[in-house]
Amino acid sequence: MESFISLAIALLAAPLFPGIILKVKAFFAGKQGPPLLIKYYTLFKLLKKGSVYSNSTSFVFTLGPVISFASAVIVLFFFPFAGNAPIFSFHSDVIILFYIMGLGRFFTVIAALDTASPFEGMGAAREVFFSTIAELAIFTVLILFYRLTGSLSFSEYFIGETPISLVGVSGALIVFVVVSMFMVLLTENSRVPVDDPATHLELTMIHEVMILDHSGPDLAMIELGAFYKLYFYAAFVTHLIFPFVPANGPVMNTVIFLAIMAAVYATIGIVESIMARFKMNLVPKFIFTSFALVFFAAILTIGVIQ
Amino acid sequence: MINYTEITIVFILLSVLLSLSSSRLMTLVKLMALQGGAVSLVPLLLEGTQHLPMGELLFFQVMILIKCIIIPGLLVLAVKRVRIKREIEPFIGYHASIVAGLVILLVSVFVTGYLKLSLPEGHNFVLVSAITTMAAGFFLMMARRKAITQVIGYLMLENGIYLIGTALTNPSHTLYVVEFGVLLDLLVGVMIMGIILHNINSAFDDADTTLLGRLKD
Amino acid sequence: MIEFVFLLPIIMGLIILALPPSVGRLLLLITSLMHLQLTVMTWLGKFTPAFAQLFKATPEGLYILLITSFIFFCISVYAFAYVNETDITNKPAFNGCMLLFLGTMSMVTLSDHPIMLWVAVEATTLVSAPLIFIHRSKEALEATWKYVIICSVGIALALLGCFFMTLSLDLTNIRVPLSYTSLYKVASSLDPIWLKTGFIFVIIGFGTKMGLAPMHTWLPDAHSQAPSPASSLLSGALLNCAFLGIYKMHILMVAAGLGQFSSNLLIGFGLFSMFVGAIFIINQPDYKRMLAYSSIKNMGIIAFGVGIGGFALYGAFLHILHHSLIKSSLFLSAGNILLGFNTKKVKKIGGMIKYLPKTFVSFIAGFVAISGLPPFGMFLSEVVIIIGAIQSGKYLAVTMFMLAVLIVFAGIGKACLSMSFGDEVEKLQTKERMLRVIPPYVLLAASVIITIWMPQPVYNTIINSIQIIGGKIHG
Repeated sequence: MESFISLAIALLAAPLFPGIILKVKAFFAGKQGPPLLIKYYTLFKLLKKGSVYSNSTSFVFTLGPVISFASAVIVLFFFPFAGNAPIFSFHSDVIILFYIMGLGRFFTVIAALDTASPFEGMGAAREVFFSTIAELAIFTVLILFYRLTGSLSFSEYFIGETPISLVGVSGALIVFVVVSMFMVLLTENSRVPVDDPATHLELTMIHEVMILDHSGPDLAMIELGAFYKLYFYAAFVTHLIFPFVPANGPVMNTVIFLAIMAAVYATIGIVESIMARFKMNLVPKFIFTSFALVFFAAILTIGVIQ
Repeated sequence: MINYTEITIVFILLSVLLSLSSSRLMTLVKLMALQGGAVSLVPLLLEGTQHLPMGELLFFQVMILIKCIIIPGLLVLAVKRVRIKREIEPFIGYHASIVAGLVILLVSVFVTGYLKLSLPEGHNFVLVSAITTMAAGFFLMMARRKAITQVIGYLMLENGIYLIGTALTNPSHTLYVVEFGVLLDLLVGVMIMGIILHNINSAFDDADTTLLGRLKD
Repeated sequence: MIEFVFLLPIIMGLIILALPPSVGRLLLLITSLMHLQLTVMTWLGKFTPAFAQLFKATPEGLYILLITSFIFFCISVYAFAYVNETDITNKPAFNGCMLLFLGTMSMVTLSDHPIMLWVAVEATTLVSAPLIFIHRSKEALEATWKYVIICSVGIALALLGCFFMTLSLDLTNIRVPLSYTSLYKVASSLDPIWLKTGFIFVIIGFGTKMGLAPMHTWLPDAHSQAPSPASSLLSGALLNCAFLGIYKMHILMVAAGLGQFSSNLLIGFGLFSMFVGAIFIINQPDYKRMLAYSSIKNMGIIAFGVGIGGFALYGAFLHILHHSLIKSSLFLSAGNILLGFNTKKVKKIGGMIKYLPKTFVSFIAGFVAISGLPPFGMFLSEVVIIIGAIQSGKYLAVTMFMLAVLIVFAGIGKACLSMSFGDEVEKLQTKERMLRVIPPYVLLAASVIITIWMPQPVYNTIINSIQIIGGKIHG
């Protein structure tokens, strides 16, 4: 039961949290900022509209948003939000999930290429390049977690016998993972300093440029999918920070979970406010550093910290 | 149960890795402040604070003050004086530096395992991070052009050696007069390097060590 | 309070930093005289250490302390005149740092705790850096930067070596305080592997400071850019102090039964330094750099002699003394030449016999002395080292040793003769003054006198310092 409730919370609340980011940024800029529910309004607005398709596109173009949205939703079914057992779980589901997200990205990219716009091709190339390096970091995390827990499943990681968290047995190493995963979060979700979601110039865009030609419900699906993806990564980081043991009770767990989630989002907002976006050639260095951090942790599990 | 020693050491390693990849001098200085603070905390955490005489407590406070505040403060002054914000065109690029950092860590894990010292609980991890810090300091001195980055590399080397001393030697040998002498040397060293740096900058219009090539045979 | 010996110059040095230069140079002279006095009193055993675990009057330390103190006195007389004749912008800093330098070097000689010794050696680097940098030219800046960075990193490695030495004690079950004196007593039970590792780091670390090749790269730059009194202190006193750091550890190695290992390292570094020194002396265009390379070569000879041990060890100790006296005399003469002609290039100087007759005598005499010719002491010490090496059957090493000495003789000789008798190129700018001429003569005379008549206490101290590792005077 709790599993369904937490999934429902995830599905419904995902667009709320980006509002927090906007509020934090507005606070730093000394502005009032848009209302918290702004993302819901945007989604409704988009859903009410019709879609426009270019003559030069094929069915691939319409397939892109649907599959990327679907892949983002599927992942949520496997994640133990707030320590409640996920709805589905099987051995080594993590690998499949990260590849399902890869699939979603693949279709976004291929839809972008389908428009034959030079800008979108450029954005697609950047997106693929950066996410390739980020994937290196993610899979090193998985290797590290495998060494720590001996399993490859989200439910085992976070609600298994020895949940992975900062206060756990090898908590020191998780410091690396938290920092690194946060960097991956920024990369994968096209946030500052890797990409600027609020940029206005196509030349400097990475993710935004790929969805320029999508409109109406298609765009709404892409946006919602992006919110779910961000929610998933933030939940990942949250679980690393705090262990959600059943002893706390599901209500308490959910409250703590949402509070830490809000804090993670607020941190994103702070990072976006105090950092400028990197020059394009410095981005790989940033992502590479995230990989190196986890690799450090992985090396240390060999012999030093068991 | 949170193991504070391990977390402190992880912060040291974090600062080492990030300093290998960062091009901004201010970031480097901040990382050095973090590292200095963490390094001076390690012996306290290893020994435990229950039976600590007043004098030792005072010494550690002085050490944190010097390593975490005064030395980084001097470096900030130097960075502001020479008006250089970042390292441009290092001898060894940042990606290669990060990879070098990974290799250094691998080697130091291997070396520590190879030595098979029967050290007390937790000291092995200190030794690994100490060797890594030392080697990374060396690497930084060789891989960068700016004089100030070389000073930072020297500080890192010194931090690493101090950690090795902490990990390997019995605390009963520690004479705080001597430790204080080591610390004072470090402080004066950084001050003198800062002064020379400033003079190099005003004489050559840049604090780049590749400009220092007048004296040779 | 044996600590007075180094506390006095340090405190006076700090005071001088705040005083006007006219008072400062007088105080420099007075303090150096007082220091000599204190040194003699220490020799007579009037003092006991207040911090017995940190400081102790060991024979080898006392020996080097006496050399340092005597040379410093002669140099301070020279500096008394020199300061007023050169364009040093910050004269209080010069006078003050000279005294701080003396203080930290005295501290090295009296330290008994390995890490205290390290602290003192590092401190010598730091207080001598302003001396090198006093002219503030681009070259001086470069030399200072190299000096500080290379020596600091090198000495940091020596600290690592000291930690390994401590570890070798910790691995046993013996609990003694960490000081060389108590370590010698338990040497045989120390962990040999860590002791060896420690010695490697110590010889690399302090070897950097001592100017052993290939870690010598800072030395020619620093010696050539420093003002002449500072160069002659660097060469005549500082290098010995760094040597002391290695020697104390070498004693420990011998006592632990690892003498073979450390001796071989010393011989290797020694021979290599001799060759590097010799090669760079040939056709060296800058006469101060030439003298610096000669110091590298002589440090090589000392390391070689110590490595051979036995009779050669006695030679090495004699060599330390004579090298300090002769080399500082030569640097002072070089300072007079530099003041006179305002150039460091060998080719631009000629006709010294005509323009600087008194300096000419001391320079030529210094050349004869440094080449190892009688009646100066280096002749004796080199012969002793050669005999010692032949006795221990190291014929190849002896051949290389003699070859290096010959090359140096030819190299220095050529430069020296062209400077003295060649045609004049530059005009003379500053004339000689008695205060600047006498110290080089005194230093050379001391070398001759000690060769002819060695004072009994000095002889006893040398014997005491070398006896502990089997050095002896009779074959």
